[in-house]
Amino acid sequence: MRLPRSLAGRLLAVSTVTTVAALVFAAFAIGHVLERFVIRGLDQQLDAKVAMLSRALDRDGMLDRERIVDLPAFDEPGRGWGWRVESARGTWTGGDVIDARRPFRPDHRRGPSRSGAVPGEGVTDAGEPVHTRAVTVPTAAGDAIVVAGGPRRLATAPLREAMLPLLGSLGILGLGLALAITAQLRFGLRPLRALQAALADVRAGRVRRVPEDQPDELAPLAVELNALVDQNEAQLEHARRHVANLAHGLKTPLAALSVKLAEDGRDPDGSLRAMVADLDGRVRHHLGRARAAAPGGRRHARTVLAPAVEGLVAVMRGIHADRAVAVTVDLGSDLALAADAQDVDEMLGNLLDNAWRHARSMVRIGAHRAGPTIAIAIEDDGPGLSERLIEEALIPGRRLDERGNGHGFGLPIARELVELNGGTIGLGRAGIGGLRAAVTLPAHGGDC
Amino acid sequence: MRILLVEDDATLAEGLARALRAESFAVDVAGNGEDGAHLGATERYDAAVLDLGLPGKDGVAVLREWRAEGRDLPVLILTARDGWSEKVAGFKAGADDYLTKPFRVEEVVMRLRALVRRAAGHAGAVVTCGRLAFDAQLGTFELDGLPLKLTALEWRVLSVLMLRREVVVDRGELIERVYEGDAEVDSNSVEVIIGRLRKKIGATMIETVRGRGYRVTAGAA
Repeated sequence: MRLPRSLAGRLLAVSTVTTVAALVFAAFAIGHVLERFVIRGLDQQLDAKVAMLSRALDRDGMLDRERIVDLPAFDEPGRGWGWRVESARGTWTGGDVIDARRPFRPDHRRGPSRSGAVPGEGVTDAGEPVHTRAVTVPTAAGDAIVVAGGPRRLATAPLREAMLPLLGSLGILGLGLALAITAQLRFGLRPLRALQAALADVRAGRVRRVPEDQPDELAPLAVELNALVDQNEAQLEHARRHVANLAHGLKTPLAALSVKLAEDGRDPDGSLRAMVADLDGRVRHHLGRARAAAPGGRRHARTVLAPAVEGLVAVMRGIHADRAVAVTVDLGSDLALAADAQDVDEMLGNLLDNAWRHARSMVRIGAHRAGPTIAIAIEDDGPGLSERLIEEALIPGRRLDERGNGHGFGLPIARELVELNGGTIGLGRAGIGGLRAAVTLPAHGGDC
Repeated sequence: MRILLVEDDATLAEGLARALRAESFAVDVAGNGEDGAHLGATERYDAAVLDLGLPGKDGVAVLREWRAEGRDLPVLILTARDGWSEKVAGFKAGADDYLTKPFRVEEVVMRLRALVRRAAGHAGAVVTCGRLAFDAQLGTFELDGLPLKLTALEWRVLSVLMLRREVVVDRGELIERVYEGDAEVDSNSVEVIIGRLRKKIGATMIETVRGRGYRVTAGAA
């Protein structure tokens, strides 16, 4: 037999089979007990008759008719009451005659009752089923058999009456059990659904691991899942580091090549150096991708905005030291982003670098909490970008700024990272004249 | 102007040193962190170019060591690590500028000149003293508005004196800032260079302060 594919189905099948079997067994067992109980009354009447007939037998096996006293029920023929005595001397009957062709069969399986009578089943001449009791009486002429029979319906009628409500109750019991099983399945399998939801959360990056506080049967599974998550993360980190090392490893020889090409006469038209720049662009691109692929838990990370901005502003002041750029920083207090510190540095670093590069004299950095997110605006007073260039600025690999050292790659990388961190980025015109980069990122403790 | 270049890649170090020398810098090269840290701590340099991924001692560690010892020479970090977090870490360790590989030699030269100029306290690119003007950004001298042609040694001596115009520069310090660490220095070679310079720019521009050193001045003209 094919087992159902669903666990609930399997559990339901097993419990249905066992419940039905238990109910059937209960019905039979109770019926049997009930039958014995109702038949005991009939047995008592028959046993009295059998005892009386036994006493009427003399030593030689003759029945003394004088000593027979008809008991009331045996007076009315045709209602299933009758008796018979058989000995070597003859056969005597009374009441309804039990069918001669179908004589009573002593039911020895049941064994003799306390009175010594053996129960049996038979039919009268009229074909009515009868219940009989028989004893064997020893006489000088051999054993005589004394049988008394009464109508079986006396026992079956109350039995039928009792069985109807009994089966009804059993049916209701079965229904109740079925409901209980269903509820049990729903309740019992709930941790499994919770685990599934937790795993989906892990995949979506909302949490880093599945909770290990699970029912005993699921706890090892949760532990294994977390081990898998950890392993996956470690492998990803390994691969990422490998790519980063490869990219960094390429940069020094590229630098050496570029320095050699810069020597007089080696690259008169600059085409070789352009190739080095192209190679560098590709390496940077893949480094950026590798960085963006840093393993999960981004939304679980926490980075306080103010020190991150402070560190980056110090860098900008250093690398753009010859540009007299005044910076205004206006950050709401205690703003923390739900993002990895390195991601924050990359996103804001690229945007700030861009602002510093193009500013005439001023860069403004502002941030405030906006519901579950933090809105950050970076503005400069440079020439800004036209609508068309704004569209292009965020396309990967597109460089609007050829002045710098390949830093034009910064905007698409910033965009990719912002989106990976569940945020949005928009470019527009700044209040102070130049470009305004508006970034919203999930606040730490914002919605999760 | 004397530069310390700490770079473990021999090809790159050699190429960059050659390129910097072509721009009249005196260049000492250290191939690992320990040597670099030692040179930077004991010798006098106008600036250092420091790689971060060094064998032995990491560039950031070298830089921290210098700063902890009070060495305030301007440091340009030159590295393959181009993440902003790494830049922040570099500046926190005390870097003055940061350039990622690969780079254009011109960029390194410009940034080094800017670092040296700012360290000498000049906000503007051009330093003037009487008839003499030194564009510290382009590295050119003009006398009465006309370009002045100088040898590398002459350039080094005059640039040191010009960046500290009107101030006496100690003779020993001048020698340290002009010659590379392994150069054979003749005891009166500085006097010879000063003599040649006086012929080119006029005898009164460079004043000898007996027992101390030299100074470029407009006052004596």
